[in-house]
Amino acid sequence: MAATLAATSSARDGEAVNGEPVNGRRPVVVGVHATEQALSLPHRDAMDLALEAVSGAIADAGLTPADIDGAQVDWPGPGGVPGEGSSWARALGRDLRWTSDSMLDNAGSRGLLKAAAAVQAGYADTVVVGGCKLVSRGAGPVGAGVPLEFADVWGSYVVAQFALVAARHMHEYGTTSRQLAEVAATIRNNGTTNPEAMMYGRGPYTADDVLASRMVATPFHLLDCCIVGEGGAALVVTTAERARGLPHPPIAVLGGAMEYHQAAYANPALHREVGQLGRDAAARAYAMAGIGAHDVDVFSLYDPNSFEIIRQLEILGLCGEGEGGPLAASGSIAVGGKHPVNPDGGCLSYAWNGTQQMTLKVVEAVRQLRGTAVHQIADAELAVVGNAGSGAQHYEMSVLGRIR
Amino acid sequence: MTGRPVPRPTPLSEPFWEAARRGELVIPHCPACGLRFFVPEPACPGCMSGDWRYEASAGRGAVYSVTVVHRAPGPGFDAPFALAVVDLDDGGTLLTHVDAADPDDVVIGMRVRVDFRPFTDRITLPYFVPENPAR
Repeated sequence: MAATLAATSSARDGEAVNGEPVNGRRPVVVGVHATEQALSLPHRDAMDLALEAVSGAIADAGLTPADIDGAQVDWPGPGGVPGEGSSWARALGRDLRWTSDSMLDNAGSRGLLKAAAAVQAGYADTVVVGGCKLVSRGAGPVGAGVPLEFADVWGSYVVAQFALVAARHMHEYGTTSRQLAEVAATIRNNGTTNPEAMMYGRGPYTADDVLASRMVATPFHLLDCCIVGEGGAALVVTTAERARGLPHPPIAVLGGAMEYHQAAYANPALHREVGQLGRDAAARAYAMAGIGAHDVDVFSLYDPNSFEIIRQLEILGLCGEGEGGPLAASGSIAVGGKHPVNPDGGCLSYAWNGTQQMTLKVVEAVRQLRGTAVHQIADAELAVVGNAGSGAQHYEMSVLGRIR
Repeated sequence: MTGRPVPRPTPLSEPFWEAARRGELVIPHCPACGLRFFVPEPACPGCMSGDWRYEASAGRGAVYSVTVVHRAPGPGFDAPFALAVVDLDDGGTLLTHVDAADPDDVVIGMRVRVDFRPFTDRITLPYFVPENPAR
């Protein structure tokens, strides 16, 4: 990592060594904001949370709304046109040059990479990404959100779809429930001591505690599964040149990639098709950033359940196919380990709030690279953000790095 | 609260449900590339042809993966149940329930056969059961 970043830091602004922008417009993250995250926020609504997320990220960047010329942000309403991103023009008080209407384009690595592409190409100079959509309010177990003819009638939902992949992985490679439980306990315990986490103060947990919690869908016990809650988040992307003089060190978008097998949940997630989903994206993202998996200091990964972390250790190139269970259970993913994963407590303990949990993964990576995280990884210079997963049949990854 | 979701047939799927009411399992088959696939889709996932047709399946296969769901996604389900992916011997892969004496008896690799069960007036569901039930 030192060699990589030495090369990066010797480059002049706008002349990235890794992910070389052809026109010198190097995309960087300069602002992040996470609202309060809780099981339920009855005193807030989605619009109020989205406004706070956007205002907070702009303020964190040391900018004003007039500096923003692109908005990839959920507009839940009331006011404007719900779902239409250009509604943000009036809230920001200026005409926009770039917007997005899709919830998934407004979050996480996918939102970040699209904003970075816009900034790098010159379609916009400073883009805010994020928002809030309250998906949990009044709902049962999380599903696709639209009727699925051949899935819903069988009682298929998100946990069960991921369980079908996990069960087959266990069958093929001997991955154990205890290895899953070790992952859940490790990440949950990061949240136990994170005052921002929904599960702050709960725990600590042992693998035995996880195994003793009630079964949801085999092999997943209750504590193997992520929490469901409410909250918003946003980030601001601009050019390295524009970032000069802003309060926080700019965090460079060094690389990224996406991979989609098919639409989520309409067909069952099959291990033979999606067990290694994301491996190709990871290879492309690393190549773009000019790094290898073992250069990464901290991983901010989607953890809808314990197994999805085991799977991602494999596709991210930290071990071979089928070797994720033993690696995860070896202590490597703990804050003091070789490959720390989700020091904030992740979706298992910090927050899951619908789509914007993806943005929270970027927020944590940026805080780690700024050196301001709650559970700071010492001298973190390179971070990977991984969103989505095998049950949902897609993967979006970004590589972020500190510029000195 | 609503009950167990009822499939709403589409122009693509109506022949599947009609056959199911007769106790026949039919699967989309693409004559252009030979693929048998499920679910019915506007374009064959093998070659993008829209010219596929339903063909009969013998309804026998093996469990590719299974999860025993203890917390159902809503009312109307009799949990725990074995939510399984079945690979049909003659092609195509279905999400279904394998109804064994005990859902925990359903394991990967288990041989199963289709067992149609009426659900509503219009919808008959292709459950699966063990080919050789435990004695």
